[in-house]
Amino acid sequence: MTPRQRNTGLIATAAATLIFITPFLYIFFMAMKTKKEAALFLFTVPAEWQFWANLTEVIKARNYMLLLAYFNSTLITVGAVTLLVVFGAMVGYVLQRRPSGWNRLIYAGVLIGLMVPPAVVPTIWVLQGLGLFKTIHGMVLIQVAYGLAFSVLLYRSFISTIPRDLDEAAIIDGARPWQVFFRVILPLLKPVTVTLIVVQSIAIFNDFTNPLYYLPGKENVTVQLTLFNFTTQFQSQFNLLFMNILLVTIPPLLVFVLFNRQIVAGMTSGAVKG
Amino acid sequence: MADVVLKDIRKSFGAVEVIKGIDLTIADGEFCVFVGPSGCGKSTLLRIISGLEEATSGTLLIDGRDVSEAEPSQRGIAMVFQSYALYPHLTVRENIGFGLSLAKRPKAEIAARVGAAAQALQLTDYLDRKPKALSGGQRQRVAIGRAIVRDPKVFLFDEPLSNLDAALRAQMRLEITDLHAKLKATMIYVTHDQVEAMTMADKIVVLNGGRIEQIGTPMELYNHPATPFVAGFIGSPRMNLLTGAAATRMGCTTYGIRPEHLLLSADSGTWGGTIRHIERLGADAIVYLDVPEAGQLMARTVGDTALELGQAVWATPMADREFRYQ
Repeated sequence: MTPRQRNTGLIATAAATLIFITPFLYIFFMAMKTKKEAALFLFTVPAEWQFWANLTEVIKARNYMLLLAYFNSTLITVGAVTLLVVFGAMVGYVLQRRPSGWNRLIYAGVLIGLMVPPAVVPTIWVLQGLGLFKTIHGMVLIQVAYGLAFSVLLYRSFISTIPRDLDEAAIIDGARPWQVFFRVILPLLKPVTVTLIVVQSIAIFNDFTNPLYYLPGKENVTVQLTLFNFTTQFQSQFNLLFMNILLVTIPPLLVFVLFNRQIVAGMTSGAVKG
Repeated sequence: MADVVLKDIRKSFGAVEVIKGIDLTIADGEFCVFVGPSGCGKSTLLRIISGLEEATSGTLLIDGRDVSEAEPSQRGIAMVFQSYALYPHLTVRENIGFGLSLAKRPKAEIAARVGAAAQALQLTDYLDRKPKALSGGQRQRVAIGRAIVRDPKVFLFDEPLSNLDAALRAQMRLEITDLHAKLKATMIYVTHDQVEAMTMADKIVVLNGGRIEQIGTPMELYNHPATPFVAGFIGSPRMNLLTGAAATRMGCTTYGIRPEHLLLSADSGTWGGTIRHIERLGADAIVYLDVPEAGQLMARTVGDTALELGQAVWATPMADREFRYQ
């Protein structure tokens, strides 16, 4: 390593630390402070460490609302991501393998779904008409609808790298069409499935606006909406707000750490055949 | 064990007819090779027999049963693909047993049949490997194992050796021939390589432009090619085919003589020319002659021939080895 390389490396590491670690550190320190100290908004080590006190207060707030929010958010995330994977892979498979006129039209529809921005008020009308407004499964369907176009696109391009010979070999071996899909194609989609799970589960878990619009109601609260618990017009408890942020950040962080390696593999495999 | 009968099979893709009415009977236990240039419809014909492609019209009988409309898995066939088409996420054991596990056979039976197939193909040591950890020849054997284990009436091979290197190809040719002798099953083999066709086939079907050009045993096709196309396709190096004025002088529109049936002489003969190139193959040598009145001729001679580049020589066809097409 030449001195020049070393210096560049050090500068890059320092910059990355500043950009990525500092906010986390700030959140962490704020979450440990007392209410008074937090109100000063200083980037300092807490004078008095209030970890347990803050933690229990956040969890107990509004009759254990955070735990309900964890449950709801997890339910929505798992449900929506499962459907996104299954439907995305199925639709992508059919669209890629059967290039008929109808499928070209459907694919155009998928692309339009990716481009056209969703409108909130009409969506709420539709949800109310179907009796899905203010329900968890309604929220799951909303997330599926928003994410499906991207997931179909991703799967379709990945499936085009799987040779058609494999489908045909399975058919000769006596596989029914659903067996060709579930026993041969789906297992081969693992890299792209992992990528999709990570990207979508973090996005859905961290979604703030959609639950705010489509899922009002105290019993429907999701994790991002619990952040409202500690800011009111007259009084804000920033130490508790930051503790809440810290707790909400942990699950996506875990997902990312666990799947990080596979994501990178998924992003590159399929790009080049081999 | 079964015979395969094709009756007036036709196939069109849109307005293009690629198979133009094929009538063919393949006897029980026969090793039949479809051979022809790229785009002659040989692979399409195989896919029609397998059921992966549906014929536009015509009837297909396997073992006397009309299977024109049947699903591939109902036809009693197994197929080996050019790309091997092994399932990358499954081990060799699971690859070979895939069809049986789909058919929900008992675990003990699957294990026994996979074991037997692996034994026959010397794959026993590799059963727990994934396909990516195998060499080309081993992958090809797994693909064959997957076919054997289903105990089919008819084996279909779609250019199975074209991805292998030359030495391995010769070895696999032998193994497939041995397999045929052992299983005594009907086998249909597609290739564009006339060497594979000549060395392996009981019966060769030469296809050209979606039609059958000629059917026969390898030696029948070699000794009595019915058309100039078959004459040029079967035999290596390929037959010298003369057209135009040179053929007219020999009393026909197309005149053919194989390189091994041209005698070279230093002082007299039918065609006089100069040697442009000599390919020495060891046992014999291929001499390329520039002949003013006939174009380029190839002649086969002994490997340690004294002929040299640029030398003037005369070529004379053996009398009973000439082919004349009107």
